[in-house]
Amino acid sequence: MDWNDIGRNIFELLNYDSNAPMIFSSGLFWALFLVFLPMYALVRNRRWQMVLFVVVFSLYFYYKSSGWFFLLLVGTSLIDWALSRVMIRLTSRRGRLWCMWGSIVVSLSVLGYFKYANFFLWNWNQMVEGNFQPLDIILPVGISFYTFQSISYIVDVYRGDVRPTESWLDYLFFLSFFPALVAGPIVRADYFLPQLRDKREATVGEIYMGLWLIIVGVVKKAIVADYISQYNDLIFASPTGYSGFESLMGAVGYTMQIYCDFSGYSDMAIGIALIMGFRLGKNFDFPYKSRNLTQFWRQWHISLSSWLRDYLYIPLGGNRKGVVRTYVNNFLTMLIGGLWHGAAWKFVFWGAMHGVGLAVHKACRPWLDRLPRWWIVSAVSWAVTMIYVSLLWIFFRADSWCDSWLIIRNIFTDFSIAYVMPFVEVRGLWCVMMAVIIGSHALPRRWHDAVSQWFVGSPWIVKLIVFMVVVQAVIELMTEEVAPFIYFQF
Amino acid sequence: MRNGYTGLWTLLAISFITIVAVSAFDSINVMGFELKTSGIISRITEPYHGSGCQDESVAVADSMVADTEKISFPVPVDTASQRILLIGDSMLEGLSPRLAAYAKQNGHELYTVIWYSSTSQIWGECDTLSTFIRKFRPTYIMVSLGANELFVRDIERKRDRHVKSILEQIGEIPYLWIGPPNWKEDTGINRLVEKNVAKGAFFLSDGMHFDRARDGAHPTRSSAAEWLDSIARWMPDNCNHPIRLLRPDNGVTSRAKRIIVLQPKK
Repeated sequence: MDWNDIGRNIFELLNYDSNAPMIFSSGLFWALFLVFLPMYALVRNRRWQMVLFVVVFSLYFYYKSSGWFFLLLVGTSLIDWALSRVMIRLTSRRGRLWCMWGSIVVSLSVLGYFKYANFFLWNWNQMVEGNFQPLDIILPVGISFYTFQSISYIVDVYRGDVRPTESWLDYLFFLSFFPALVAGPIVRADYFLPQLRDKREATVGEIYMGLWLIIVGVVKKAIVADYISQYNDLIFASPTGYSGFESLMGAVGYTMQIYCDFSGYSDMAIGIALIMGFRLGKNFDFPYKSRNLTQFWRQWHISLSSWLRDYLYIPLGGNRKGVVRTYVNNFLTMLIGGLWHGAAWKFVFWGAMHGVGLAVHKACRPWLDRLPRWWIVSAVSWAVTMIYVSLLWIFFRADSWCDSWLIIRNIFTDFSIAYVMPFVEVRGLWCVMMAVIIGSHALPRRWHDAVSQWFVGSPWIVKLIVFMVVVQAVIELMTEEVAPFIYFQF
Repeated sequence: MRNGYTGLWTLLAISFITIVAVSAFDSINVMGFELKTSGIISRITEPYHGSGCQDESVAVADSMVADTEKISFPVPVDTASQRILLIGDSMLEGLSPRLAAYAKQNGHELYTVIWYSSTSQIWGECDTLSTFIRKFRPTYIMVSLGANELFVRDIERKRDRHVKSILEQIGEIPYLWIGPPNWKEDTGINRLVEKNVAKGAFFLSDGMHFDRARDGAHPTRSSAAEWLDSIARWMPDNCNHPIRLLRPDNGVTSRAKRIIVLQPKK
């Protein structure tokens, strides 16, 4: 054992690596959190020390994932904060408007350059049959999330809904708060900043509820999503190589994978924040229980859909300007929501189709509301919603239009139940995981609440055992041994 | 530390210390169940290699396979149609479709036996390979094993007899052992295989760059196809029994004549 090697390996682990962004379910984060937690507990009630300490840790967290782009975050926060301070000193509406738009333009320009420049260049190339080379741009992690936070802050300050922070450090704390920095939830200033001002202690119950959320998140993200993705990836990598039934399982699998992946990470973020005494709000509320698309968007990525509602849909006129404008506003909001997910036409299409679905649901609502509340009606509503959502996830995930249509065509033209038993036999663990996650959706909410309350109230040793069992389960599926791809068809 | 956090910190610390301490072992046996360990200690204590040492795509990486021990002079390519048996771990998911395309292009038949999570130990301890040799009567065997043994400590002592057992089962049939696509430096599996196989019967994949699937280990489909292309390019001048592997069209994959899937051994 060479101490020099050990030192260098640790340094390398702590250094920025574009291939290894820091995620909450990693051993490195766990180790760093062990250092962070006692120091945070010590400075918890000394406000300036606490804010400074968390900001430094958050910036390091961002540096580990995005390298020197953390300076971009610092710069953005400085501009926002300065403009917000100027804004509140101005009395003229026009001047305040200029400040708001100044901040929004800066934020969107940065996002536009890093995320959409190559997309627009590519489209321009297609139109003029040009020969431009794509720009060598690296997308800073989490830029879409903190840009939306920054916009919500400046707009709320303009509207008078939020009192701007006295110090830049407070604003940087809000914008760079590490639990929500790289993958949300999109924290709103009007919800978060009062918590910073009126700081109160996290109770023991909240601390262990935070731990419970982390455990649930790890199970969803690092165990279920990461495992089932291995099969789903095969289907999407080679759409022609699989039967209709296998393609269908890949599509259903991806539907569950994206939920577990995203909501699991949100759960971890919310849990870590709760341990620190901050509430981030719910981001997912069993969206796959929804019986219509409107309900789905109220329960899926809640922080994004409510952001889009408050800062896009309502300013566009919402439902106040007639039926046609309501549909158009809804459609535009979803279109932009789609583009927010990524710079590609497939995301635009995905968002647009959700917009169409929402419009159709709104149009049919008077008729749907008259239907009897029988279970069969609920079941059909749920099935129609899930089929539509899952179908659109295919476009969201597939590499190209062609691949999306190939998978859909396979499902409808090459479907045979003869594949069912061999599939279950060969992909046993995949099926078990899918059954568990679908089954957990079928359980009443109060059962989930009861389990979390049981955990919070359980003896310390039980919590330790539960935590260690989950960690070991992650290791069983993630260690140096190659986790098996479940099955293949060449 | 404030009271509310003491319990949580103690819980996290005990778990972390346990996981780190246990990672000093390859695996631990608890009431008959073999539990994997995290590998944290080996990650921290491994010799430092710096970052970014692998940077060339397998598609253009002829130079990267130069480390493979060569035969002293090229052997004429066996142009006969072959019945190829491809055996190994989950890496075959990427290799087999591309090899099937080569087989189709060159008039060979391909039989694939994929045993998930398998190792040289698993294949070496049983007669599964002999059974499939009797069943398919291959004229050429390709083995892709080692990815699940990259970090086994003291591997040369533990696995030597298993590698020898596999080679004994292969017997006189011409073969090629395709080394694992390392994503980190191994503890000796490549060295062990190379030591046991005949000269020109081992393709060292270590040192190549692979685009990885999201598990960070398996090459993507296209990268695995390029991996197989590299093997086909390497064969004529370096292999002790090269077979005809003219390149099919770019990106083309196909299906083996027969695919057998074996589940992980528990």
